Amino acid sequence: MTEVIVWSGWIGGLAVGAYALFQFAMSGKHLGVSTGFGNFCSYVSKLPFFHKGDYAQPNNWRLWFIIGLPLGGLLAALTSPGEMALSFSLGAMYDQVLPQALWAKGLLLLIGGVMIGYGARLAGGCTSGHAIAGLALLHWPSLVAAAGFFVGGIIAVQLLFKFF
Amino acid sequence: MKKYIFILFGILFGFILSRAGATTYDFYAKLFLFQDLQLLWVIATAATVGMIGVAILKNLQVRSVLDGQPLSFAGKPYTKSLIVGSLIFGLGWGFAAACPGTALVMLGEGKLGALFTIIGIVLGTYLFGRRGSRGHSA
Repeated sequence: MTEVIVWSGWIGGLAVGAYALFQFAMSGKHLGVSTGFGNFCSYVSKLPFFHKGDYAQPNNWRLWFIIGLPLGGLLAALTSPGEMALSFSLGAMYDQVLPQALWAKGLLLLIGGVMIGYGARLAGGCTSGHAIAGLALLHWPSLVAAAGFFVGGIIAVQLLFKFF
Repeated sequence: MKKYIFILFGILFGFILSRAGATTYDFYAKLFLFQDLQLLWVIATAATVGMIGVAILKNLQVRSVLDGQPLSFAGKPYTKSLIVGSLIFGLGWGFAAACPGTALVMLGEGKLGALFTIIGIVLGTYLFGRRGSRGHSA
């Protein structure tokens, strides 16, 4: 697995917060990622939901933003000292509790992904939109959502590591 | 044309997420087992910096650099499904050790498990769209 350089938490947070402000001041767009997954759906689905509102014009900034994200990951990996490696490993801790067989591990991640995608749309945003952009606006529904994210995460990981 | 610059913004944000540790699986386990709060500090610091910055931008009545429009400080609306949605999201966050942004960044780092997570996120978004399209003619 690729080992990337990790800054201390507060420096990382400073950079994330500064980035969110930079994007907002430059473009007037608040940070957000999960809505962009629906832009992708606009191209492969005829469902009315993906052709109105946020998705009336799917070739928008969100689409280009989520295309940039993996390239940012590639850049981060290439500028880290270790060799870049393609791997299905989830790191020491998760590999210990997740199934060894790739199909079973993949299925669990897929189900996790479905919960992330469905939950984000129900909540109206994800960690970026609610926990970073929303909290910066001191917007109370985002505080509720961020609390919900953490409660869900604690339940999932406690279950995973205590009972499997 | 403004939208194309977001590919650069995405690269920058993806790089920062990686350096912040948000693409390192172990930090998710350690966060929710209360062993190492790296990612909590990232979010808390980012939100604090954001609050200060938003207050300044509001005060200066800054216009957006790229299109000169006034900045909107409106947040996302509260809906009845927000709490249950955030809990479902959180469960997935913990199980898959990723969120929508970081899953994409992980893929770029060569962490291929994120492929399954990304397919799942698309599927979950699609399922929500199906529910939201009920009663319409396709």
